[in-house]
Amino acid sequence: MTRIIVMTSGKGGVGKSTCTANLGMALAQRNQRVAVVDADFGLRNLDLLLGLENRIVYTALDVLAGDCSVEKALVKDKRQPTLGLLAAAQNRNKEAITPEQMKELVAGLAPSHDFILIDCPAGIEMGFQNAIAPAKEAIVVTTPEISAVRDADRVIGLLEANDVKFTKLLINRIKPKMVQEDQMMSVRDVLDILAVPLLGVVPDDERVIVASNRGEPLVLDKQLSLAGVAFNNIARRLVGEEVPLIDLNATHDDLFSRLRRFFRG
Amino acid sequence: MVPDDSAPAAIAAAAVPNPAATEALAADPPPITPVPAQARAPAPPIDPRTQLRLRGETDHLVLLMPNGSEAEAGALAWGELLQQFKQRLNGGERCWQPHTVVHLAARDRLLDARQLQSLEELLSAAQLTLKRVITSRRQTAIAAVTAGYSVDQLAAEDTLVQSPPPPGQPLAEPLYLQTTVRSGTEIRHPGTIIVLGDANPGSSLVSEGDILVWGRLRGTAHAGSGGDRSRCIMALQMHPTQLRLADLVARAPDGPTSQYLPEVAYVGDNAIRIAQAQAFARQNFDATLGQGAQLTDAFKV
Repeated sequence: MTRIIVMTSGKGGVGKSTCTANLGMALAQRNQRVAVVDADFGLRNLDLLLGLENRIVYTALDVLAGDCSVEKALVKDKRQPTLGLLAAAQNRNKEAITPEQMKELVAGLAPSHDFILIDCPAGIEMGFQNAIAPAKEAIVVTTPEISAVRDADRVIGLLEANDVKFTKLLINRIKPKMVQEDQMMSVRDVLDILAVPLLGVVPDDERVIVASNRGEPLVLDKQLSLAGVAFNNIARRLVGEEVPLIDLNATHDDLFSRLRRFFRG
Repeated sequence: MVPDDSAPAAIAAAAVPNPAATEALAADPPPITPVPAQARAPAPPIDPRTQLRLRGETDHLVLLMPNGSEAEAGALAWGELLQQFKQRLNGGERCWQPHTVVHLAARDRLLDARQLQSLEELLSAAQLTLKRVITSRRQTAIAAVTAGYSVDQLAAEDTLVQSPPPPGQPLAEPLYLQTTVRSGTEIRHPGTIIVLGDANPGSSLVSEGDILVWGRLRGTAHAGSGGDRSRCIMALQMHPTQLRLADLVARAPDGPTSQYLPEVAYVGDNAIRIAQAQAFARQNFDATLGQGAQLTDAFKV
């Protein structure tokens, strides 16, 4: 049974594409056959994050036009051959494709894959409708900011109304130090509002930017960063393993911060 | 109805004139030029924000369509209407037995075969069966017959509650929702709304009766939207973005509150007041006992 998961958030810039690239790669490292589908027509960048830009020959639109088969359009990753990318067309906009066509594309990929991750564009317009149409599950990505959480709430409502039944939450870019000093929403605060099961928490990490610019997802690093470990854990949870959340506070819970917290009450 | 845009001027719980009342006054003086009888008694204005809703009958449910066609100014597009209805269906699963028969009261709304089919899909996903379509439009009737429903075609005249509602009309039966009302969701109901769950920031509940949130109220709530100031808003945790009661508006105090006690918002002295549920009950008890009135009057629930 192929798992078709849409990665969405409502708000832009919270890390949907980064999470898609890393989870796709991490799942492929676990010998899952993964296809990542870029649904962001006109503003594609999943190929950049995966470092596959210069290998794209056909896009999703070519498949729909009947110019090639969906398997042929899939760009195989040279580092993890079980990972494939179906690129969006860059020269068109979101209206270039309909929800039915999106379903058709994904249906073509489903038999030969274990996981299909769909990278949804920001917003709740046509591009969003296209991206969620074929999905059975959703991962809602949010950052611990009030605007991102508000948009995530809206998106969860829309997902429920569009028959995407299994929605899980991924909280990205959390800064444990700021949470401890009460300057940032905590995981609990976010869950309190959104009330959906938590899939994982990814700490803020500057190396994400370096990795994106190089086109090499974090999970490929030899020496895994904390964010890389978090993505790996999320991938393990997706394949059904029970993995406890990383204790993000550990590094910051030194004597000094304990004393400060003690005095602040 | 109090228009939503009246809010900015009235943020500090000030009263705004009730348009419903002024309209009634304006309608009273006899027209100067003789006009045909039908034009003199216009149909009540249709609120373009009216949502699809289900009403229970003895052995079936009636799905009420808002009157008027999609083309009419301000009316919600079909897709949006369906989505709102779906959110209500998802939250109300416990209110009926599976396989309950539904009659669709389409009034004078034009529906094509595709729209009927999408309604049918929605209803069957909620384990309801669409059997009958009641319409006053010929095209809708034809589409419904072709799709295999039994059809009641009514004369195009004001057979379905078209005349202005009599003053003492009862409110619609309460809407019971077991769901989290999320950001962007608007629930409008011409009766009391009961939410078993949270109303998140960015959501809005608009009711002609009372609003009861068995959870956290963090969005906007408007009770007594028809102008009834005796309505109240109750929540286990009252952290609303904004509260409206009839024609009054109030904003929650800034800054976090530490108390998490059930509270009731009501109108007293021309302003919205909030009391702890226990104190509210006691206060009304004492007041009514003092006046020698019936206890039950105080609660209006």
